[in-house]
Amino acid sequence: MNIAVCVKQVIDTEAEKKLDPSSWRLDRNVNCILNPYDEYAVEEALRIKEAHGGQVVAVCMGPEKATDAVRKALAMGADTGVLVSDEALAGSDAQGTAYVLAEALKGLEWDLILFGVRSTDGETGCVPAAVAERLGIPLLSTLAKVEVEGSTLKVHRETEQGYVAYECPTPAVLSVIKGINEPRYPSMMGIMGAKKKPLEVKDAGALSLDKSRIGLDGAKTRVLSARIPEPRKAGVKVEDDGSGAQKIAEFLASEKLV
Amino acid sequence: MTESRDVMEVDVLYVGGGIASLSSALHLTNLIKAHDEKAGDKKIGELVIVVLEKGFAPGAHGISGAVMDPAPLKELVPDFVGKGAPLEGEVKKESVYLLTKSGKIKSPITPPPLNNHGNYVVSMSKLNQWMAELAEANGVNLFPEFAGVEVLYDDNKVIGVRAGDKGVDADGNKKSNYEPGADLHARVTVFGEGSRGNLTKDLIEHFKLDEGRNPVAFEVGVKEVWELPEQRLQPGEVIHSMGYPLKSDTFGGGFIYGMKDKMVSIGQMTSLDYSDPCLDPHREFQKFKLHPMVSELLKGGKLIQYGAKTAPVGGYFSIPKLSFPGGMIIGDGANLFNSQKIKGIDLAIRSGMLAAQTIFEGLLEDDLSDVKLAGYAKAMSRSKEMKSLYKVRNFHQAMTRGLYPGLLTAVGQYLLGGRVLSNRLSSKPDHEHMETLVERYGTSTPSADDVGDIKFDKQLTFDKETDVYYSGATHEEAQPSHLKILNLDICYGECAEKYGNPCVRFCPASVYEMTVDEATGKKTLKVNFSNCVHCKTCDVKDPFENIQWVPPEGGGGPKYTMM
Repeated sequence: MNIAVCVKQVIDTEAEKKLDPSSWRLDRNVNCILNPYDEYAVEEALRIKEAHGGQVVAVCMGPEKATDAVRKALAMGADTGVLVSDEALAGSDAQGTAYVLAEALKGLEWDLILFGVRSTDGETGCVPAAVAERLGIPLLSTLAKVEVEGSTLKVHRETEQGYVAYECPTPAVLSVIKGINEPRYPSMMGIMGAKKKPLEVKDAGALSLDKSRIGLDGAKTRVLSARIPEPRKAGVKVEDDGSGAQKIAEFLASEKLV
Repeated sequence: MTESRDVMEVDVLYVGGGIASLSSALHLTNLIKAHDEKAGDKKIGELVIVVLEKGFAPGAHGISGAVMDPAPLKELVPDFVGKGAPLEGEVKKESVYLLTKSGKIKSPITPPPLNNHGNYVVSMSKLNQWMAELAEANGVNLFPEFAGVEVLYDDNKVIGVRAGDKGVDADGNKKSNYEPGADLHARVTVFGEGSRGNLTKDLIEHFKLDEGRNPVAFEVGVKEVWELPEQRLQPGEVIHSMGYPLKSDTFGGGFIYGMKDKMVSIGQMTSLDYSDPCLDPHREFQKFKLHPMVSELLKGGKLIQYGAKTAPVGGYFSIPKLSFPGGMIIGDGANLFNSQKIKGIDLAIRSGMLAAQTIFEGLLEDDLSDVKLAGYAKAMSRSKEMKSLYKVRNFHQAMTRGLYPGLLTAVGQYLLGGRVLSNRLSSKPDHEHMETLVERYGTSTPSADDVGDIKFDKQLTFDKETDVYYSGATHEEAQPSHLKILNLDICYGECAEKYGNPCVRFCPASVYEMTVDEATGKKTLKVNFSNCVHCKTCDVKDPFENIQWVPPEGGGGPKYTMM
């Protein structure tokens, strides 16, 4: 079973997040990492490959330095990588990104497309659905378990109450959540090997992308304003001298919560 | 999920990806390239050169003041300005102050050892990053997130190191993603681990490299980078201070360096041979910012990054033997640091270059024997940087005798080129200097005022937890603590009684926390290892040598970008 796993480079959790006030674009000139949720997707793809054979290709859209994120997927064990990188893509929204990824995927061989549940920067979580829609194949999102039986996928989709079990034929798009597995660490041998694995960088021209659908101008989302959330204020500390329960009840009542 | 341990054969292995190792790897590849271009059929050919770095990325653990003497860098990268070296500014203006609590006395001249004309203010993290790019472009294999955890010996010769395992939980059990660290076997292993290197300690003991030397000595530097509302200090402007807030029996000093983009680097060094069990280097640095000279400068600014690191200040007589069968030690790890000039970058680069030169010659002659490697120490002793270190050979040991007598000795030493104390001053290791609470305060329960505690206002002064947040320090939580307490009974017994658990104070990252159960009064030492900024103060200063620092899972620690 051939698998395409879509990955994104995001700014590191500890890095200072800054928005450019003219475009509301995120300043990516800080430490960047492979989106942590995507590590679960890469791991899941590798486990399926190890059990059922096939090839894993990591597909990414991002600036040139996003090759590092693709290399990490290769170091973990993916076979090949594709990075779509073009200045014209900067500022694309989730819809634009899905359009680009779908176009890139059309030129690749896969039976299954895996995503992390969302990115830690944009946090929209809708790219997997939009890609599935564009490719005209089913989507199963927020999965905590994936099993492959022949050309049938048996998955558990996490809900607030528990999970729902689904079956679905391939090809399909799946997004997986944190905890579905423990992503492997790239070994030194893996990192050395990744330097020699094929990583193709494609620009907008190579994919014949429609310029009106990409970049900031092609975005259907408009950011009107943004602000840094105010720091959380300190809570009220209740010392329990026997009247603790009473005080908590009074507090909840005063907030009209009970 | 490999079950067996990989063995990787490499030619030259660097342990620690700081400026010493990166300069060395760059120099070695330059030498080989230049040689091979005109060597005909006597080419050395492509070598596998590997640099291990425990941090998240090159530069993530790089921290210094920093003022750099560019002489060795000029030789390594002659066009370093054109090649985009991240220089904050050339030093054109500098001053030295003696501070009292609210006043300051400006030194009419800058004492010659602190004269920085022609030097540059730099950020160590940025310089490391830049140097890593140059080395990688030359074919050097850089492995961030991999720590060397064990020296591999064969028949009394170093044959490489073992990289740390990954995917081990807090109880030491292997997780499903357990990845055993590879054994790296190298023809030469170069240790550039920085101040108080973990494996370097092992090597020194194994080969008795410190025989006949002075004990090592350290200062801890606590530093913040601030962004100011306007460019109040010219990039490259340098201010040094002595005196307040440190008491006169504690050596150290403050520094303020102007950086680009309205940034300023501000910090304080505290000598770890201090005797006050309640001294807290982080707190003293916060007090430094309260001095009007500093608080005026920082007004309206904001904290950007925080960090701390020890610097090896033992000087010339504390430098261990620099080579041994199979390898060498370079940079801060070999105590190659000039404490009077407060500089080590030039020595680190020089030692890296000379180690590379020695390896290069060894490769040409196909001789990497210990006799050949010993050529590195000889070359070092002929270098300008080492000669200048020899001249100030007793500076730190004189300073431990108190600020004023120390200054007098230092002046004499300067004037006479070190001859005022031509013999070695004795010294004892830092951890033996601590007085008990009763000796220091006459009571085992000194008040917060006696001790000199302050309240942090979170505008100008910050508690350790806040500062640690700004260091970016994180560690995988599901792993064994990398700070090994050898005997907890000492913590709850003798150490608590005599010294009041000074680890809680000397750690600038709030790693050690003593919690008391209100009901039973039972004390528990909590080790918040995830806060650790890898400064190594605990490994140096614990009065019972009861704390051992070992590398955590690769990638953990601070994430400096401009320190």
